[in-house]
Amino acid sequence: MSMLEQYLSTDWASMTTHDWAGLIVTVLVFFGMLITFALALRPSKRKELEEQKYKILNDD
Amino acid sequence: MDTTAKPQYDDGVVKYLTVGAVVFLVLGTFFGTFAASQLAWPALNFDIAEITFARLRVIHTNTVIFAFGGMTLMATAFYTVQRTNGVKLWSNGLAWWTAILFTIGLLATVLSIGLGITTGKEYHEQEWPIAIAIALVWTLYTFNFVLTIASRNKETHSHVYVSNWFFMGMMIAITYLYVINGLAIPVSLFQSYTLFGGVQGAMIQWWWGHNAVGFFLTAGFLAIMYYFVPKQAQRPIYSYRLSVIHFWALMFGYVWLGAHHLQYTALPDWTGSLGAVISLAMIIPSWGGALNGMLTLSGAWDRLRTDYILRFLIMSLAFYAMSTFEGPVMAAKSVNALSHYTDWTIGHVHSGALGWVAMVSIGAIYHMVMKLWKTEMYSMQLINIHFWLATIGTVFYIVAMWVSGIMQGLMWRAYDEYGTLAYTFAESVAAMHPYYVMRAFGGFIFFLGAVVMLYNIVMTIRTAEARSANRAEAVA
Repeated sequence: MSMLEQYLSTDWASMTTHDWAGLIVTVLVFFGMLITFALALRPSKRKELEEQKYKILNDD
Repeated sequence: MDTTAKPQYDDGVVKYLTVGAVVFLVLGTFFGTFAASQLAWPALNFDIAEITFARLRVIHTNTVIFAFGGMTLMATAFYTVQRTNGVKLWSNGLAWWTAILFTIGLLATVLSIGLGITTGKEYHEQEWPIAIAIALVWTLYTFNFVLTIASRNKETHSHVYVSNWFFMGMMIAITYLYVINGLAIPVSLFQSYTLFGGVQGAMIQWWWGHNAVGFFLTAGFLAIMYYFVPKQAQRPIYSYRLSVIHFWALMFGYVWLGAHHLQYTALPDWTGSLGAVISLAMIIPSWGGALNGMLTLSGAWDRLRTDYILRFLIMSLAFYAMSTFEGPVMAAKSVNALSHYTDWTIGHVHSGALGWVAMVSIGAIYHMVMKLWKTEMYSMQLINIHFWLATIGTVFYIVAMWVSGIMQGLMWRAYDEYGTLAYTFAESVAAMHPYYVMRAFGGFIFFLGAVVMLYNIVMTIRTAEARSANRAEAVA
């Protein structure tokens, strides 16, 4: 086994319930971030979002 | 041009909180300077238990973070939520109760720490009766803020401006972090034992500890930045989409960082690695946010020559960028091996606290004072003097701590040819003396700036009516 393979290898059989819970939360958060960024950055949303920044300039 | 009628906003409570924040800034920086002087000249402890360094330092941190920072956050949140949503506070009475009870809670905190009543948990020293009271007051603040947004006219204000997102993120995160870290078994009116023991206790403590920085001192003050930088610059924020990304990246990322405070301890090694990796990843959104604020001035940088309030706001973003780079670097294990437990950490904290938090607050407070009392500042020149006192004081402070911190780290791990330590701990303490003097001097300069600010604001308020009358007379 190379150094890299050794570094990345996981003993799945020894994963505890807490380990699995942590892993699942981490993966869900990762996908949550991806979805959020995709929603914020999609080109069709650009105009709608950028318009918001002008509204506070005359709020008082 | 927006021609819709503006409601009469509930500004009385905002005025109270604004002035209260400045008073606590003066008190907090005084306590800090006094504590720093005690490290340089220990005789200043005067053998009085209530003001020895161990207690005074905690009084200082609580005064500047929760009293000055907390009041600034409450003032700006109540000020901005009304204006960005075009509606009065959901309950002005509740806001007043929140402000008064918060003040009492803060005074009780300071007094109890002076008397030696403490949980011993960093940034969570309040014993259980005060902690419960503060959590309840914080919940009232959150409740009022959220219901104010909910009560807006959804047709004229369909979108909730991003500064409100940052405020709400802070409110929700701080509530659950503060409550969970505070879970304890009371054994008397002024003593309790934490529910979490050993490694779990440390982990929960720094989950809260770092997020007091991440949410209270970062997300909340970014809310201030996203409202007051565009308002003071009279230009829209550079990119609204970037502000949305900044928000979600902070919300998802910050809660993972706490373990970087516990490198090389009994915690599992991977927790520290995770904390360090996510810390480094957080440089990207943090710098994105800092650039978003700074680039708001694109094409109008000349404003910095004449607008001293804008100087505070932009300088705060420079310090924000600097400290959000420095922090992740210090979280990396190899750097942490040198920096941890040294004064470098204190320097890092103060580049964030003085340079970022205090300066963005000061800029926002000056802006609000002019709007709330409908007048110009008593003296713009004093704001300029304050700016330079604050900047020079901060630089003196953090440079002294960088040098002393790195020197400490190197002295502590220096070995001679026999494999024994080259220096005793006492020798490293003695070597710090010039830097502790320099730190106290920097803190004193910053404190002087706070006094100038208080004087300028008091005079602005006292002369506001007379100057308005003079102006009206001149116009007539």
